[in-house]
Amino acid sequence: MRVEFQGELDALEAGFQETGEIVLRSIRGVVDALRTQDVELCDEVIAFDDEIDERYHSLEKQIELVLARQTPVAGDLRLVLALLHSGLHVERMGDQCVTIAKLTKLSSHLDTKQTVIESLVDMGERCEEMVKVSLDAFAARDVERARGLHGLDELVDRANRQVFGEVLGYVNDPEALEWGMRQITVARCFERIGDNAVDIGEQTAFLVTGEFAEFTDASH
Amino acid sequence: MEAPRIDSGRIAEVSHGLDRSEVESREKVFSVSDLSVAYSGNVALEGVALEVHKNTVTAFIGPSGCGKSTFIRCFNRMNDLIPGARVSGTVLYHGEDLYARDVDSVEIRRRIGMVFQKPNPFPKSIYDNIAFGPRVLGMKGSMDERVERALHHAALWDEVKDRLKDGALGLSGGQQQRLCIARALAVEPDVILMDEPASALDPISTTRIEDLMHELKRDYTIVIVTHNMQQAARVADMTAFFSVLVDEDGGGRRGILVEYDSTTKIFTTPSDKRTEDYVTGRFG
Repeated sequence: MRVEFQGELDALEAGFQETGEIVLRSIRGVVDALRTQDVELCDEVIAFDDEIDERYHSLEKQIELVLARQTPVAGDLRLVLALLHSGLHVERMGDQCVTIAKLTKLSSHLDTKQTVIESLVDMGERCEEMVKVSLDAFAARDVERARGLHGLDELVDRANRQVFGEVLGYVNDPEALEWGMRQITVARCFERIGDNAVDIGEQTAFLVTGEFAEFTDASH
Repeated sequence: MEAPRIDSGRIAEVSHGLDRSEVESREKVFSVSDLSVAYSGNVALEGVALEVHKNTVTAFIGPSGCGKSTFIRCFNRMNDLIPGARVSGTVLYHGEDLYARDVDSVEIRRRIGMVFQKPNPFPKSIYDNIAFGPRVLGMKGSMDERVERALHHAALWDEVKDRLKDGALGLSGGQQQRLCIARALAVEPDVILMDEPASALDPISTTRIEDLMHELKRDYTIVIVTHNMQQAARVADMTAFFSVLVDEDGGGRRGILVEYDSTTKIFTTPSDKRTEDYVTGRFG
């Protein structure tokens, strides 16, 4: 039994889960900032991203060391690769939160439309749930739960289309249109977070089965 | 300047080995079925079945006492030389029973050469080490050419061409091992068996031997026993994992073949939990 190696693998996985936890705080932050149009909270989320980046780079460095020193194979190798990919997906989610926070700040001087805000908050909450599911399924090596992310992602995509359709209605109102265009980008960021959660689900399936397959083929 | 051309097929072959279907499409060199070996009545290896294909590298891995060295010795009847050893089951070599009564074990050992863990050159010149086998066998043709060809094949020629009359024991350990490979090649074998060929060598000499295996498999079939799992992962197309089965009463211990598959499969997604535990270092 390679006790030290097992300890290193456990530490990598714990590092990934912790990064996931703080990204969940970012998502919660931007959802609250959207709901209340809180500019200060937006600034906090933007500043918080440095911590996410730092943790991701630390995870990546640790993975590099484990690969170099321990040459993992089979299930261990899949775990290390899955953590490397999933870590990057989580880090990207943090970046999407920063974009949402910046857009929320940029449009804070404009009138908001409650229907769109409600759709965005709904998307954000669904994304938060998806990220939780992706992290839990990874930890439990639960492929069925991971596959369930695809169904949750459909709901996020649907809400994304709703926001788009709503904003199309502002075509004759320049100020509303400016605000709406920014909200389309916010919706797009949430949609990306949902996709990243599905990506983590796919890594869970790879980790358990050894086969990589996308849950859905976006090219069709 | 012309851009370097990337031969993706070559990269894939060197870095991943051949895939299983490609290996199995090649001619069978050995077909082993229900093979068991006992020393003085104690079973060392039980019920092994596998096939080795032409122009491939096949590695045997497993913990100490799993019977992998015992097994490789069945391929050129080396166990015949051990008093009390008994081999049962079938080993077909190109379809012929290797253990049939009329088989000439000397001829078998010419066609199926062996390289051992510790380099064991004769205390003679470099030249005479290579020439010894062909002379004993009365092989025809120019001996100088034969010696040069064998040394070229073993990637040793450039280092020794100016001192062929010097004693072989003056060579470094890595050179001595390549000399032993050259000695095995000089009698024009079909198969080269290697029992831990690099375990007594430094990392650079080990790399040379591994590179050599990639080259040699174009002309020969190679079977290697190794304790170094990464070595198996680097050089072998197919890998067999052997393990030790301990009797319920704790008395007898016997080697068994657990899993035999492409090296890629063994080191990425092995089918048997025992293989996974071994290659990931959780057992053995």
